Amino acid sequence: MKATAKYFRNCIDALKTTLVGMRITGKYLLQKPITVQYPDERLPIPNRYRGIHYLEQEKCIECLACARACPIDCIEMDAVRHGKELEWISFTLDYQKCMFCELCVYPCPKDCIHMGTEFAFVSYDRSEFVHDLLSYRGMARDAKVRMLEAEEKKKAKEEAKKAKEAAKAAQLAEQEGKAAAGGAQGGPGQG
Amino acid sequence: MLTSMLAASVPQTGTNAINDFLAGVKPDYVPGWAVPLTAIGIAVGLTVAIISVVAMFSVWLERKVAGHIQCRYGPMRAGWHGWLQPIADGVKLLLKEDLVPLGADRVLYVLAPALVLASVLAAMSVYPLAPGFFFADIDLGIFFVLAMTSTTTIGVVMAGWSSNSKWSLYGAMREAAQVVAYEIPLGISLLVPIMVAGSFNLLEVSRAQTGFFGLNWYIWPWINPFMLPAFVLFFIAILAETKRAPFDLPEAESELVAGFMTEYSGIRWSFFFMEEYAAMFLYSVVGAFFFFGGFESPLTWGAAKLAGDGSVLHQVAAGTTLVVKGFAGVFLMMWLRWTLPRVRIDQVMTLGYKYLTPLALVCVLGAGLWEVFLTPILPWRHG
Amino acid sequence: MVETKDAQRTTADPGKREFMLDVRTQDMEVNMGPQHPATHGVMRILVRADGEVCTGAQPHLGYLHRCAEKIGENVEWLQYLPYTDRYDYLAAMNNNLGYSMAVEKLMGIEIPRRAMMIRTICAELNRIGSHLIAFGTYGLDIGAFTPFLYMFREREWMMALFEKICGARLTYSYIRIGGVFNDAPPGWLSEVERFCDVFEEKWHEYVDLLMVNHIFVQRTANIGVIPRAMALDFGLTGPMLRGSGVDWDLRRDMPYELYVEIWKSGCFQIPLGKGERGTLGDCWDRSYVRVMEMMESIQIVRWCLGSIASGPVIADIPKTIRVPNGEAYAGIENPRGELGHYVVSDGGKVAIRCRVRGPSFTNLAVLEEILPGALIADTIAIIGSTDIVVGETDR
Repeated sequence: MKATAKYFRNCIDALKTTLVGMRITGKYLLQKPITVQYPDERLPIPNRYRGIHYLEQEKCIECLACARACPIDCIEMDAVRHGKELEWISFTLDYQKCMFCELCVYPCPKDCIHMGTEFAFVSYDRSEFVHDLLSYRGMARDAKVRMLEAEEKKKAKEEAKKAKEAAKAAQLAEQEGKAAAGGAQGGPGQG
Repeated sequence: MLTSMLAASVPQTGTNAINDFLAGVKPDYVPGWAVPLTAIGIAVGLTVAIISVVAMFSVWLERKVAGHIQCRYGPMRAGWHGWLQPIADGVKLLLKEDLVPLGADRVLYVLAPALVLASVLAAMSVYPLAPGFFFADIDLGIFFVLAMTSTTTIGVVMAGWSSNSKWSLYGAMREAAQVVAYEIPLGISLLVPIMVAGSFNLLEVSRAQTGFFGLNWYIWPWINPFMLPAFVLFFIAILAETKRAPFDLPEAESELVAGFMTEYSGIRWSFFFMEEYAAMFLYSVVGAFFFFGGFESPLTWGAAKLAGDGSVLHQVAAGTTLVVKGFAGVFLMMWLRWTLPRVRIDQVMTLGYKYLTPLALVCVLGAGLWEVFLTPILPWRHG
Repeated sequence: MVETKDAQRTTADPGKREFMLDVRTQDMEVNMGPQHPATHGVMRILVRADGEVCTGAQPHLGYLHRCAEKIGENVEWLQYLPYTDRYDYLAAMNNNLGYSMAVEKLMGIEIPRRAMMIRTICAELNRIGSHLIAFGTYGLDIGAFTPFLYMFREREWMMALFEKICGARLTYSYIRIGGVFNDAPPGWLSEVERFCDVFEEKWHEYVDLLMVNHIFVQRTANIGVIPRAMALDFGLTGPMLRGSGVDWDLRRDMPYELYVEIWKSGCFQIPLGKGERGTLGDCWDRSYVRVMEMMESIQIVRWCLGSIASGPVIADIPKTIRVPNGEAYAGIENPRGELGHYVVSDGGKVAIRCRVRGPSFTNLAVLEEILPGALIADTIAIIGSTDIVVGETDR
């Protein structure tokens, strides 16, 4: 008797759960889908998205904090220092290694490296993945101006110093000459 | 001009009619025996064309239904809402490398998809697509259909065995066990409408359900209350026969990669898929004939009234009705596929032998008793 | 070669084996190989099968080994954080939390309250996300294709939330030593609240569509039964253990961070398997525990949202972290079980040893015991119910 009851309960349970399931799927069948047609429509990307990096090159002081912070050592930079100014040669990030962890962004003392919202990086050649983040090579115009000004100031300072030293030496020589002359005269006179 | 064309009466066509027509236009230098052969060739070609179109449409429908149930779109890029997708798939499959695995039984491997598709095409040949349009009118209609669709099992087992892969073998063995188990409730549950109609012929059964704006369909409880349970059992049985979820063990995607079809690629694989969708359509058309009135619908009734019985308009309306009913069944099968999980093989057997078969027998008994004792006293069952 | 158990185990009825010995059959060795749609990740299970019945199983691991622990001995403390994301990539916040807790324990620093709140919210949301995948892919293994996509719809929202707060969708590296990297943007907390509301409705749908579906119950009830004693013997943790009825959850029994308060407030329960639809400790029970845990996580998130504090989100620690001499262990409740980090330091910038106890690795051991006797289709169901993430198994 229990077996018969279980038999019919199985039948009813199967039919009931099937119909409940069909109602749920039927509901979604009639609703508008939630996906977007990707290349033509896109979903908005939040500001904090960890995409391809971008560098604010004028602020960067080549302190290598980001390169040291990277767990995989994928940042490499190369610049020539002229006093306080930099002449940039390259700032590369190897995207074959980068895991987009954002650890390079936080240690920057000048807050100049950021991660943007670009994420598609497709290429036919592996060398393109060693991406150079610089926006210009060499020196920026105002950096160059500052460098030249600094050089001029230095030259002027040096010249001033030289002039001062020359003046001092001349003065000293004069004084010695006077002293020698005075001493020579005064010496035998006193006796 | 159009109205006269539509109202013109269309004679009973069949391969015989094509034969007669060709005999009429045959030039003298063509020998006599070429005519029947050509007629058969044309009929077979038409069948293949119909099955291909049905399969392609079903592929598209499946992907769109699956997509929308899953809150996404399905194919959108190949043509408007992806209607060219099946054609793109077909072209891609044709261009694939034709490979036979190392160690596979070459003859069986190549024959299997052909056998599977041929069975379904043979079953198609006895279908009336319109009251006056079919290729072979035999009295044993449904019996022949069931017999031919069963032969697909041979092809599946051949495919599984000849692939020389353990996973394919699993799929083939499961398929054999499953199909054999569900033949029984399929046949028995069909006995209910056959009893009421009194004929195996599909057209006869459809004609028996004419009139009263569709209220004469066998599914209604006032005709015979055992029809609805019989239909439910029939539907579950055809889900198992066509290897659709929840009975899709032979091609259990997540378990056996693709079951018996694992080693097939390219156009051979697409034959299996065409067979699956064609069989779905054919079985659901059988369901339409036996339970839902076949050709009868308000549309057909209206066309017959408008242009006369047997006219072109009537034929077209009837054909459309049938196709719509067939695809409604196909749609229901797809809806169930995306809703239900898969049933394990021993549970499939339990369901087939312990649940469906006894219930089908009870339906047949009850329907028989109803026919004998209650039909004479029900006024709408006379005439 | 797989060592088979006794001949008794090969069929359900041991007595029947007698007359079948006349027929010589050979057990088939099937590779549920590294590439298989049902093993979650690259893992190989060598199954010896007699027809459809499994007679022996042997998992082979190591296909996803990436030397995470060795890397821990070569990079600085903070630099190791992204590597922790990548072992259990489905619950990355929890991994970060475990590692950070171990290092903070060794450093002896205190985390500001707001940071702890945000950490708890993120960890619990990620628990929901992980269980969504676990249950969804379990449905996929069983053959139900649609619930997986519905659960991914919710998971997309969760990932969008995390994208807004830290910029990444899968490997967050957000919970760091000393707190979290940055504060939640304005509007984030109210969006989390909206997520909780919508999720509660959808949860009922998942239960209706998959959990109580008759076919799903038939496929998972009475399958892969892990009795209580076996669960404790094998050292299982997480839903595997609670599915067998053992009442043990690190959030209550060895609490960390805010869980003392949260438990005291009574806002969440520990769901246990009860053998409702079959035997206690079967696959259905484990799925039941996971599904109920999703709801409990929502309650925890709501509590945190209700009592969120304001303040700094990171403790006052130097830029270069030097951890004092010593060793520490911190175990947390990962969605899969107990995730433990054991760190040893000699006072420098780099760890001496960074050992990880992955729950999937320990949970996996029980497969060798429960797979024999099951049908092949059940094999899939059992492996799915252990919720293995191979990244955590192999590290």
